[in-house]
Amino acid sequence: MSDTVIMPQLGETVAEGKILTWFKAAGDDVRTGDKLFEVETDKVTVEVEAVSAGTLSEIRVKDGETAKVGAVVAVLGGAAASRPAAETSATGSLPVFEEVKTAAGQFGRARTQDGIALSPLARRTIAQNGLNLDDVIAHARSRGLRRVSEDDVRAAAPQERSAEPAAPTTPAAGAVPLSSIRQKTAERLAENWRTIPHVFQAVEIDFTGVEASRSKHKDSFKASTGFALTYLPFIARAACLALKAFPNINAHFDGKTLRPSAGVHLGIAVDLNHNGLVVPVIRDAEDLTVAGLAKAMGRMIAKARSAKLTADDLSGGTYSITNNGAFGTLFTSPIINAPQVAILSADAIRMRPAVVETAEGQFIAPRLMGVLGQSFDHRAFDGAYSAAFLSRLKQIIESHDWSTDLSE
Amino acid sequence: MASNKQDGQSAGARSNDDIGVSTRLDLYRLQVEIRDCEKRAYDLFLQNLIKGTSHLSLGQEAVAAGFGVAMEKGDKSFCTYRGHAHTLARGAPMEGVLGELMLRDNGLMRGKGGSMHLTSVEHGVMGSYAIIGAHLCIACGSAWRAQYLGDKDVTVCFFGDGTTNIGAFHEALNFAVIWKLPVIFVCENNLYMEYTPIGDVTAVEHPAADRAAAYGLPRILIDGNDADVVYRTAEAAIAKARDGGGPSLIECLTYRHSGHSRADPAKYRPPGELETWLERDPIKIYKQRLAEFGITQEQIDAIDAESMRKVEEATAACKAAPQAPLDLLTADVYADGGWAWRN
Amino acid sequence: MAELSYRDAVIRAISQEMERDNNVVFLGEDVAKAGGVFKATVGLYETFGPKRVRDTPISEQAILGAAMGAAMTGLRPIAELMFSDFAAVCFDFIANEMPKLAYMTNGQLTCPVVIRTGNGAGVRFGAQHSQSIENWTMMIPGLKVVAPSSPVDVIGLMAAAVRDNDPVIFHEHKALYATKGEVPDGEIIDRLGTAKVLRSGKDCTILALALMVPRALEAAEALARDHGIDAEVIDVRSLVPLDTQTILGSVAKTGRLFTVEENPRLLGWGAEIASIAADEAFWDLDGPIVRITTPHIPLPAADHLEDLALPNAPRIVDKIVRVMNG
Repeated sequence: MSDTVIMPQLGETVAEGKILTWFKAAGDDVRTGDKLFEVETDKVTVEVEAVSAGTLSEIRVKDGETAKVGAVVAVLGGAAASRPAAETSATGSLPVFEEVKTAAGQFGRARTQDGIALSPLARRTIAQNGLNLDDVIAHARSRGLRRVSEDDVRAAAPQERSAEPAAPTTPAAGAVPLSSIRQKTAERLAENWRTIPHVFQAVEIDFTGVEASRSKHKDSFKASTGFALTYLPFIARAACLALKAFPNINAHFDGKTLRPSAGVHLGIAVDLNHNGLVVPVIRDAEDLTVAGLAKAMGRMIAKARSAKLTADDLSGGTYSITNNGAFGTLFTSPIINAPQVAILSADAIRMRPAVVETAEGQFIAPRLMGVLGQSFDHRAFDGAYSAAFLSRLKQIIESHDWSTDLSE
Repeated sequence: MASNKQDGQSAGARSNDDIGVSTRLDLYRLQVEIRDCEKRAYDLFLQNLIKGTSHLSLGQEAVAAGFGVAMEKGDKSFCTYRGHAHTLARGAPMEGVLGELMLRDNGLMRGKGGSMHLTSVEHGVMGSYAIIGAHLCIACGSAWRAQYLGDKDVTVCFFGDGTTNIGAFHEALNFAVIWKLPVIFVCENNLYMEYTPIGDVTAVEHPAADRAAAYGLPRILIDGNDADVVYRTAEAAIAKARDGGGPSLIECLTYRHSGHSRADPAKYRPPGELETWLERDPIKIYKQRLAEFGITQEQIDAIDAESMRKVEEATAACKAAPQAPLDLLTADVYADGGWAWRN
Repeated sequence: MAELSYRDAVIRAISQEMERDNNVVFLGEDVAKAGGVFKATVGLYETFGPKRVRDTPISEQAILGAAMGAAMTGLRPIAELMFSDFAAVCFDFIANEMPKLAYMTNGQLTCPVVIRTGNGAGVRFGAQHSQSIENWTMMIPGLKVVAPSSPVDVIGLMAAAVRDNDPVIFHEHKALYATKGEVPDGEIIDRLGTAKVLRSGKDCTILALALMVPRALEAAEALARDHGIDAEVIDVRSLVPLDTQTILGSVAKTGRLFTVEENPRLLGWGAEIASIAADEAFWDLDGPIVRITTPHIPLPAADHLEDLALPNAPRIVDKIVRVMNG
C-alpha cells in the first residue's frame, strides 16, 4: 500500500509552506505519529507528524524548498500513487440566478450625432410603431428641443403625413428586377405543392371587437400615416401572439429537422395586380404593435407594387399570411412557402347571422364574422397542434385589448 | 440518562457508587469517541479535507460527556463554535459531524453551516454559535418557552472563559435570574481566551464562578477534567432547573491540548504547562476510575476498539460522500425553503 | 368601521394576534405595566397578564436573543425595540443570528419573531433617537421588513408578520402614532410583499414609505391642482419581500419614477428600487429616476432644522415639477 505525504493545511489563510528540516530520510521506516519535518509558514513554524505508516520511499520537496498546501512532498510505501481527488469541484454548468430581469429590446442609440438625447421610452415608441427617426429628430430640432420624450415623438407623428408612403425615393442598392416574376412564382408554387403534404384547417372568428377598435382609429391613422388600417394588421398581431405559444409553427423544416425561430419574420403575400405573387417579410414582427404592423405592411405592399423589393425583403420568413378577403371568398386553402411549415389565409369578413349568448339566453344576431384558414405541413406537426393554435388565434382576436396597440 | 444504582457489581467494585457502572461506561465511551473523532478531524484538516476552520475540544471531553449523559432526550443544548464534542455528546452521529466539517452533502447541515454551526435538532443540539455570547441570550429564550408552556425540558448553554467578558453574557445571566429560567450556564475555562491567558483580561480570578454572586447565584467551580464530578454537578443543576429552581452558573476548569484553532500551534503557552495538564488528561483519569470500580481492561479495550471502528466507518463514508448539489445554494433562506425577496 | 389612531391600531393588532394564538407572547422595556413609552401597548398587560406580556431590563441583546430562542423552540414572540436606533445595540441578532438560522441549519430551525420598533423623525428627539433605519434592515438576506403608514395597515401587516414564519422587523413611525384613520371591524389580515396604489395617476409614479406617504399624497394633490401633473402615489409598505410587479407596472404606465425617502441620502431604500427600475424598466422610462431624500447628515434636535431636513410636500412638488418640465 502506498500513500502520499502532503503539505498540510496549517492555517485558515495559509497558502504554502517552506520545509525547514526533514527528520526522516528516504528509506526510513515511518510509524503513525512520528515527526516527519518542520515547516515554516508566514504565520507559524510547526512540526508535522505522519498520519499513516510505511517506508519513506521518496522525498519530493527537500529542505529549504517551498510547496503549496496540498502538494505532495513525499511518498510512503511502494510506487508513487496520487491520492484520489477527494473533493468534487464545482465545475460544469453553474446555476444562473437572475434576481433582476433585464429589459429585453434594443431600440437604438441614446443620442443622435449632434447630441440630441432620446429617452428610452421615446426610442421604443419610434421602433415599435414603425416611425421614422429622422422625422422625429427634425421635428424636435424645429422646436429647439435637445431632449426627446415620448410626447415629442407622438407630436412629431403628423409630420409623416407629408412623407412618401412608399419606401426610400432612390431604389435600394441590389434591387432584384422582377420581370419574370410570374414564371418564378409558378415554379415555386408547384414545387411546394408537390413536396409538402398540405392539410387545411379553419376557424370562424367574430371580428366585432376588432372592428370596434379599427373603426375608432382608422380615420386618424389614415390621416397621420397615409396608410389604411385594415383587418390584416390585427390578424397579424394576433398571429404573432399566438405563435409564442406554438413555436413549432413559426419554424423552418427541411424534411428532416424542424427549426423553430426565435423571432416571427412574417411574410405578407402581396398580389401584384393579378400579375404574380410576392411574399415580402416583416422581420421581428412580434416587436410591432398593430399600428407598427399596419405601417410596415403598408410600406411593404407599396414597395412590392412599385417593384422596389430587395432580396432581403423576400427572404427569411418564418410564417406567412395571405389576404384574400377583397373578393368576398369564404375561405382559401393556400400553398405553403417552403421552408416554412404553415400559412394563414384571411378571407372576407362580413356580417352573418350568429348565435349570441346573453344573460337572457341564446339569440340570433348579426355579427361580423370571418374564416381564417391555415394550411400546414403535416410532416412538421399534427392536426391537434395546428387546431390548438387556431383556437388560440381565435381567442386572441375575439378578446384582446387593442388599445395599447393603437396608442390611445 | 439519570443516575442508576447498579446491582450485582463485579468483585472489587467500590461500594456506595452513586453513579453506577452503566453510566460510567457511557461517560467513558463518550469521552473516547469524542477524543478519537476530534483527532481524526485534526488529521483530516492537515490533509486539507476539512476546510475553513476547526476548533477542537481535545482535552475538554469530560465536560461534554458529563453533561451529555446527565441530560435527557428532549433537553436543549447550545454551544459555541468549539462544539464538535457537545454535538457528539448528545448522540449526533460521527458521520454527520465529520461530514459537516468536510462540507459534504452527508453533513448534519449538508455543508450549509460548517464546523462552527453544528446543529442537530433531532438530538437537542439547537445550534453552535460563532458570535461570542449571543447564544447565552438565545438559551434564555428556549428556557423561557419551557417555562411558559410548562414543558419539562431544561436548556444547557456551553461557552468558554472569554465569553464572560462580553456584554451578552451579563445580559443573559441577569435575565435568566430575574425570570428564574430553567437554563444552566456552563463555562469551560480552559485558561486561554483565544491566544491570551484569561487572567490577563479578566477582573476576577475565576471568570464565571467569581461573577455568580453579581447575579445572586451560588459560586460553582469544579474540576472539569473529572467526568464524575462534572456528571454529579450537571445532575444537580439540571434537577434544580427542572423543578423550577431557576438557573445555575457552573465553571469547569479544564485545558485544551491543541491551539485555539487549527491556525494556532499554541506556542504562547509557558513551558511545562501542557505537560502538567496532560497528566490530568480526562481520559487518563477516567480509565483509572473505571478500574477502581472493577471494570476490566477487556471492557475498556472493547470500547476503545469500537470507537475507532466508528471513526473509520464515518471517515470512509465522508470521503465517499459528494458535495451538495449546486441548487442548495439558494435553499432555506426563508422558512418556506425559498429565497424570494421580490415578486 | 371606526376611526382609530395609529398607536391604538398597534394595540388592536397585537391583541388580535394574542387572542388568536396562545403562543404569541410580547416582551420589551416598559411595555407591560407602563403600556410603552409611546403608549402603543397600553392595556395588553391587563388583558393578557404577566405571563404573556413581560417587562424586561434594559438589555436589547437579551430581549432579541430570548425572543429568538423562544421562537426556535415553539413560541411566536413579538419583541419591542423602543427606538429603532437601538438596533445598533443588538445588531448581532438582527444581522447575524435570526436571519441566518434557517440557512445555516439547513432548515432544521426557523425563527418566527416580529421585532417592533419606534422608527423615524419629526418628534425632536435628536440624532440618536430619530433615525429611519429601514435600509439597515432591508439589506440583510433572510430578514423581512415592513413599514406601515396607516392604522389599518398597522393591523393588517402586523397580523401578516406574526403569522409569517420568518423574522420580520416591523418599523412603526413615531410621528404617526397620533394620526388617525378608518379601520373596519373584525379581524384584519394583510399580506407581506404587497404595495398599495393610494392614488392612481398617469404622468408620474411616486413611491413613499411611512411618514412620507401622507406627504407624497399632499404633494400629488398640489401637483394636480397647480401644475396639471397627474401623479400616481404608491405606498411601498413592504421592503422585503418587495412588490416589484406593482412598482414596475406603474412605471410602465407613467414612464417617470420618483421616490420620497426619510432616510439619509446614501443607500436609502429607494436606491435599490431605482436600480431595479433602471434595469428592468429601462425602456419604459421617459426621464431620469429621481430620489427625494433627507440630506446625508445626522438629524438635529431643533424643530425648524429637523423640518427642513425631512422631505415635505412643497419640496416634493418643487422637485417633481422642475424635473418633469426641465
